[in-house]
Amino acid sequence: MVTAPFLLPKYHSDQRPKRSRVAVLHAQQYSQELDQLLAAGIPLFPINVTGKTVVLKPNLVDYIPGNAINTHPLLVLAAAESFRRLGAKSVLVAEGPGHQRDTQLVLAQSGYEQFLREEKIRFVDLNRDELIRTPLHASYTGMKDLWLPRTVLEADFLVSMPKIKAHHWSGVTLSMKNMFGVVPGARYGWPKNILHWKGIQESILDLCATVPICFVIADGIVAMEGNGPLNGTPRPLGRVVLADDPVAADATCARLMGFDPSRIVHVREGARFLGNAAPGFIDQVAEAVAPPAIPFRVVPEFLNLYTH
Amino acid sequence: MPTVTTDAIALSNVLAELAQRQLPCGGWAALASSSQPAIEPTCYAALALGSLPVGDIERAQDFLLRTQNPNGSWPVVPGDDQEGGWVTSLAVIALRDLVPSISARLQGFHWLLNCSGKESNWLWRWKFRTADRHVRFDPDKYGWPWFPDTVSWVVPTAFAILALNQIPCSCGDLERIPVRVDCGIQMLFDRVCPGGGWNAGNGVVYGRPLAPHADDTAIALLALSDRGQDPIVQRAVQYLERVAPTLTATWSLAWAILALAAHRRPIAPLHDSLSALPDLSSTEDTGTLALACLALDYSRALSAFGVTG
Repeated sequence: MVTAPFLLPKYHSDQRPKRSRVAVLHAQQYSQELDQLLAAGIPLFPINVTGKTVVLKPNLVDYIPGNAINTHPLLVLAAAESFRRLGAKSVLVAEGPGHQRDTQLVLAQSGYEQFLREEKIRFVDLNRDELIRTPLHASYTGMKDLWLPRTVLEADFLVSMPKIKAHHWSGVTLSMKNMFGVVPGARYGWPKNILHWKGIQESILDLCATVPICFVIADGIVAMEGNGPLNGTPRPLGRVVLADDPVAADATCARLMGFDPSRIVHVREGARFLGNAAPGFIDQVAEAVAPPAIPFRVVPEFLNLYTH
Repeated sequence: MPTVTTDAIALSNVLAELAQRQLPCGGWAALASSSQPAIEPTCYAALALGSLPVGDIERAQDFLLRTQNPNGSWPVVPGDDQEGGWVTSLAVIALRDLVPSISARLQGFHWLLNCSGKESNWLWRWKFRTADRHVRFDPDKYGWPWFPDTVSWVVPTAFAILALNQIPCSCGDLERIPVRVDCGIQMLFDRVCPGGGWNAGNGVVYGRPLAPHADDTAIALLALSDRGQDPIVQRAVQYLERVAPTLTATWSLAWAILALAAHRRPIAPLHDSLSALPDLSSTEDTGTLALACLALDYSRALSAFGVTG
């Protein structure tokens, strides 16, 4: 799948910024203080959301008590509050869970329902949103188009809010893999099996080329290692990662997990046209990126991700 | 304490809301805020309205007949690719009482007979036996995919079984139906979660058992309503009885009521819980709204699904 120099590229355009910015923020627990953390962290980036429709796309897959599967609702609320304060016309939360068909049940069990109601934040179920046939802006899967939800396509400012997790099929699931949630289950099923058959890494690249991520807020306060995305082990990491480039965000998260980002296929290939993975092109603000003393555990197929 | 009268009022309110959401084309959109008709919510709504004097069932049926693909399948939304998908089962069920739909339903049944999970092909069976063994399942036991060229999953298989069981005879070209239905049932049994019940179709992944889902379990149990003596079915019913009283989400609760009624389990408290849910009529998801109608009127709903409770 790698775009070799002697072959035509599989992407339509080079979307890489000249430089990318990433902020690694320290946060030990989920609390109301996340409001202040993001209120201080987001202005580190030269973004303008005034008058824009901001769509927050968390990672909501399923609910299993005790498992750190989903982006924590307090982080999503803090993000919504921050973007409102920054002048967004509207802020809504949108997701299409990939495993559980009953979205309302996942929202209730994972604590979203109550917060969304109290804060009057609209939620859109991307599994059942209006569908628009959308030509893909890359051809890694060989698919020409996908039916994608109107809410995401019409967003002015899409924020990917992944949970930092190891993943048994793709190595990691971060801001780029999080985009699987925009693929509508009503059209493609639960799980979104077509993306597995067309290649997970390839599908990630086609999706991210087609639906640009404007900003990343990654939940690594309690992450997941091992047999993710559902049955891994909670791994306290104590970090929230912000970025204006999904490739830079995922490369940074990978380093925080103890992985070599160039060994994650979609990050390596994404660095050719979607964003920057090399530290020389990333302006690091707030904390420095330090690999953990003990890297995240992965399933045996991904032992090659380790830096050493 | 909710009463039968409360139930009747709840049903009447939800039916009225459902009727109001019908689009000029005759179909229903998945979400109240949308104007794009979709087949799945239209099928649930058509089943919910049935012969009741609310809504315009004839326009709904016309919409379904108009949107059928030339190959006999149904698309997820009008304008979708013409290869068809899992909603075909729902469409042939929703059209069951309509005489002019006989030909369309037969085409739908033929499409379902010719559609199967990718693992039905020997090459993929071989791959799943030798190289791709992280998900535990027997590829010899296949059912139906969400849409062509992918593998079998629990929900589309259960809906296909419900649809194909509605054919009164298996003569002529349809003689393969009993074999396909039986293979689908074996697939459901094979994909059961170790603790009982079903999720999308992955019982064990990387050696770890996965948890069942109430709605997937309920839909599978509807398809297996005549297999109540099987220990796998009995364990699934026990799981659903255990989890159903804790459900606060309308979709899962409605499916649970239908499945438990089909297996002749007591459902009165669940029925009361459903009718007492706050803001039931303002549910954004129209498919969920229609399912609430079906669960509140479960005897008629089971008959529409071809299940004798």
